[in-house]
Amino acid sequence: MKKSIGDNMIPKDWGFDRGLELIKKAGFDGIELWLGDVPWFQMATNDAQVRELRRKIESAGLVVSNVSTGLHWASPLSARDPAVRAQAARIVERQIETATLLGTDAILVVAGLVTEEVPYNEVYQRCVEALRPLGEKAARAGVRIGCENCNSEQRFLLSPREFAQFLNDINSPAVGLHLDVGNIHDTGFAEQWIEIHGPRITRIHLKDVLKHRGRSGDQSVYTNLFLGDNNWPAIRAAMTKVGYDGWLIAEMEARYRYAADQQFYDTSQAMDRLISGRL
Amino acid sequence: MDLTRREFLGYTAAATGLVGLPLPQPASVASADSKVDRWRVFVVYDRVNSESFWGYTRTLPKARQLFSADESDSISCCSLVIVPDVVLLDPRFSWALVRALQRGASVVIETGVGFASHSTFRHHRRSLREGLQIPVGAPVDLWADRPKARAPYIEFTWPHRTTIRDFSRVVPPADRPGDDVIAWAGDLAVAFRRRVGNGTLIYLGSPVGPALWAGDVEARRWLNAVALAA
Repeated sequence: MKKSIGDNMIPKDWGFDRGLELIKKAGFDGIELWLGDVPWFQMATNDAQVRELRRKIESAGLVVSNVSTGLHWASPLSARDPAVRAQAARIVERQIETATLLGTDAILVVAGLVTEEVPYNEVYQRCVEALRPLGEKAARAGVRIGCENCNSEQRFLLSPREFAQFLNDINSPAVGLHLDVGNIHDTGFAEQWIEIHGPRITRIHLKDVLKHRGRSGDQSVYTNLFLGDNNWPAIRAAMTKVGYDGWLIAEMEARYRYAADQQFYDTSQAMDRLISGRL
Repeated sequence: MDLTRREFLGYTAAATGLVGLPLPQPASVASADSKVDRWRVFVVYDRVNSESFWGYTRTLPKARQLFSADESDSISCCSLVIVPDVVLLDPRFSWALVRALQRGASVVIETGVGFASHSTFRHHRRSLREGLQIPVGAPVDLWADRPKARAPYIEFTWPHRTTIRDFSRVVPPADRPGDDVIAWAGDLAVAFRRRVGNGTLIYLGSPVGPALWAGDVEARRWLNAVALAA
């Protein structure tokens, strides 16, 4: 397995180049690029600029693990407004295009957003119908779309079997699950998600979660690896059981208040311990 | 005594019924078979891929649909014509709808501009007014102020009482004598029916198609009742 961390973790005043240096020095193998979340990688970033990002990443001795985005929180595929849906699809298409330019084969998509206004049945149907053609485009590009399980924030696809049904309905080998083991909270157990989805997992986000502490809003319940309530030995065993040997990507929500770079070293070492199974 | 428009129209409709002018009632199930032979879902222009269009076409029996994108002449054989997700009505098509109404068809016009730009809405309003004498007001965002305890439903009173989820934006019909309001968002009238010749014109300012598309059971029952009443 290989270790990666998001470029949105790079301290804001550090810049991309210095951030790459830190990521390499901390022992990571790759970097997750967040389209729209960082100044150097926006929807308006052109192909030449994306190639330049790749050059810098490879010069630093890293590779791109995957292309993610937080843009779908504001422009979900499940929106009622057709103009917003079109923009959401365009974001996925740009992720696919940039993944190819950056030499990676996976993207992360937050598929749909259930709200008081837009109900579950609509969100489900809209996401399935949006992801079918996007899956075809991804397959043609040799890229896999990983729909992330943002269980509580999305209020959508809350159980692993329901997520499996969702992927069955999309029925595309290019559309799978980008599993976040910290997002499951009190609705289940990450190791069971891994067991159920196995080869459909495109990438794994790592973070820990403080269960039974409330959820969402401004109350952060995420924490550094091994500080929360995830059963890490069980998670590691499940990865072995299903033969997962892909990227592990650190996604820390809470940041160190001081010595921001120290979080990169600590996280990298914690990931080493997880991979080695010394838990 | 303060009366809302909804209450006033409710009392008026009740009084009209009492004086012996009953409004058309849904047809019996026994007569349905002959009618469904002529159901038709019609789509205009580029709306063939809209959720609303698919909602209607997936709900009505496939064998009964006479879908065609531009053969307005074939409307003449239909007892029910549904025009979902309307943005603009071509004048020739509007005229074909008027002739169908005069012959006794039911025509359902469902607005499709709740999320459109102001300029698109202006064209839509003009097109409905000139083509079918349907006056409409500007779109209303039912969720704009995030009311604390708002029920997210449109209340239909015809062909039977039922509730169907709102679709965030409505394009309400303007007041017009003779129109029978058949659906409400709170106190806001959002749909009506009107006798035109021997037929019935139904305007939906709150789309039902997306609810059909999402599998809403009440929406399906409502559409079936409208079809049987046609």
